[in-house]
Amino acid sequence: MQALLSFDQSPPLAAPLRFFLTAPWFAVLAGVLLWSEGATVFASRWMPSALAATHLLTLGFMLMTMLGALIQIFPVVAGANMAHPLRLARVVHGATSVGSLCLALAFLYSLPWLFALAGGLLLLAIAYFLGAAGLALRGQGLANPTIRGLKLALFGLWVTLLLGLGLVGALAGGWRLPWAGLTDLHAAWGLAGWSGTLLVAMAYVVVPMFQLTPGYPARESQLLSPVLLLCLLLWSVALLFSAEQVVRLAEAGLALLGLLFAGRTLYLQAHRRRPRRDALAAYWQSGMLAAILACGMLLTAAIAPALAQQRAWPLVFAVLLVAGAFMSFINGMLYKIIPFLGWLHLQNAGRGTAPPMAKLMPEAPALRQWWLHQLALLTLLLAALWPESFARLAGFCWVLANAALGWNLWQAARRYRQYRPAPMASGQGGGVA
Amino acid sequence: MTRLHQLLSEDHRHCDDLFATAEQAASQADWPSAQAAFACFVQAMTAHFLAEESQLFPAFEGATGMTGGPTAVMRHEHAQMRELLAAAQAALAAGQGDDFFAVVDTLLIMMQQHNMKEENVLYPMCDQHLAAQIDPLISALQQSLARL
Repeated sequence: MQALLSFDQSPPLAAPLRFFLTAPWFAVLAGVLLWSEGATVFASRWMPSALAATHLLTLGFMLMTMLGALIQIFPVVAGANMAHPLRLARVVHGATSVGSLCLALAFLYSLPWLFALAGGLLLLAIAYFLGAAGLALRGQGLANPTIRGLKLALFGLWVTLLLGLGLVGALAGGWRLPWAGLTDLHAAWGLAGWSGTLLVAMAYVVVPMFQLTPGYPARESQLLSPVLLLCLLLWSVALLFSAEQVVRLAEAGLALLGLLFAGRTLYLQAHRRRPRRDALAAYWQSGMLAAILACGMLLTAAIAPALAQQRAWPLVFAVLLVAGAFMSFINGMLYKIIPFLGWLHLQNAGRGTAPPMAKLMPEAPALRQWWLHQLALLTLLLAALWPESFARLAGFCWVLANAALGWNLWQAARRYRQYRPAPMASGQGGGVA
Repeated sequence: MTRLHQLLSEDHRHCDDLFATAEQAASQADWPSAQAAFACFVQAMTAHFLAEESQLFPAFEGATGMTGGPTAVMRHEHAQMRELLAAAQAALAAGQGDDFFAVVDTLLIMMQQHNMKEENVLYPMCDQHLAAQIDPLISALQQSLARL
C-alpha cells in the first residue's frame, strides 16, 4: 500500500534534469585531459591520468546519469517514489559532481587529503541514494523481474562503493591492502555488478516496449542477472584466494553471459517493428556491437591469459566497454528521456497542447552526434593501440562528440523553457512520469 | 500473473501490434492503409480505456476507498493519450507525415510508461484487492474489450 500512496507523486523535472545536463561535460573533461596529456594516458591502465579520465567517465558521466534516471524511473517501474526527490537530487548531484572532480584531481596530483575528501563526498552521495532507494523499495518482493534486477544492481553499487572506499583508504591513509587485486574487484563490480545488472534490468523493459521488438525469452530474463552476480561472486572469491583456474572459469562465464545478452538484444533489434532508425536504436545497436567485442576479448583472455598481459589489452577492453557500450546505451536513452519529460511537464502545466518530443529534441542533430561518437570511439581504439600517433586526436574527437551531446541536451532544455508557460516557471511543477 | 493481469497486459500488446502496423504503413507513405490501420488502433485503445474507466477503476476504488490515488493518475494519462491519438489522426488525415511521426513517437513512450505502471503496480494491486469479485469482473472486461 505504501507504493500506491506515492504512485502519483513523481519527481519534479529539476530533479533528474540536473544529472542529465551535467554528465556530458564530465566526459568533455576526460577528453580535455587526453588531449592535453596525450600518449601518457594510454601508457598503462595504472597511469594517474588514465585513472583520472576513467573516473571522470564512470562517475561523472555513467553514475551521474544512472542515478538521475533512477530517481525518475522509480515511480514508473515500482510505483515507489523516493522521499523528497528534489532534496535528494540536489545532495546526490552536488556530492557526485564535486566528488568526481576531486577524485580525478587527487589521481592527477597524488594528494592524499583530496582522495579522502573525494571518498567522503562519494560516500555521502551513494549512501544517501541507496538509503532512499532502500526505503522506496521496502516491502517490495522479488516477483517482478524489473524490481529484482534493480535490487541486484543496487547491491552491486554497494559493493563497488565499499571496494572503492577501501582503495581510497589505501591511497589517502596508507592502509595496507592488496590494491592491485582490489582494483580489479572494484572495476568488475562497478561495470558488471552495478552497471551491467542495471542495463540488463532496463533493457528487458526498454527494448521490447520502446523499440517494439519481440520479448526476451522468459527463462533467460529471469536467470541472467542472478547468474551474472553468482559468476561475479565466484570470481571475487577465487581472486582473493588466488585460485587461477576458477578465476578464468568465472571470467569465461561472465563473458558468455554478456555475449548472450548482447547477441540476443541485437537479434531482437533486428526484428523491431518501428520503421525509423532513431538515435536510440542507432546507439543501442552500435553499443551492443561494442559489448560483443569487449565480451569476446574477456572470453579470449580467459582462454589465453598471456594475451591480456599486453599493454594495450586492458585499454582496448575498457574503451570498448565504457565508451563503446555503456555510454552509448546512456546517450541513446538521454535523447528520449529528456524530450519526453519535457513534453510531459509541459502537458501537465496545462496551457494548450504541448509540442511533441521532436520539437524539443529533433532527430537530425542527435543522429549527427551519433556519428561523432563513432568517430571518437574509433580514434580512442587507435589511441589505445598506438598512443603516440592518436592520443591527442582521440582527445580532440572525444571532446567534440561529448560537447555536441551536451549542446544537444542543453538545447532541448532551452526549448522546454521557451514553451513553458511563464507563471508556472518554477521548475517545481508536478508530473506523473 | 493472474487472469486479470494477463487479460489486460495481453490487450496492451495487442494495441502495440496495431500501432506498429499503422506506423509501418505511414513510413511507406501509404496514407490510406495508414489511416485505416490507425483507426483500428484508436478503436482498440478506446475500448481498453473505457473498460478500465467504467469497470476496473470503479471496482478498485470501491474495494480500497482510494479515489484520488493511482486510478486518478491513470485517468489523467488516458486523457493525455486521447489528445495524442486525436493529434495523430489529424496529421494523418492532412497527409502530414512529419507531424504524424512526431506525435506517435511521443505517444508510444507515453503509452509504454503508462503500461509499465499498470502492469507493475496497478494490476497486481487489483489482483490483491478484487479477488472476491474477479470472475464477473473479468467477464465484463472481456466483453468490453471485444465490443468495439
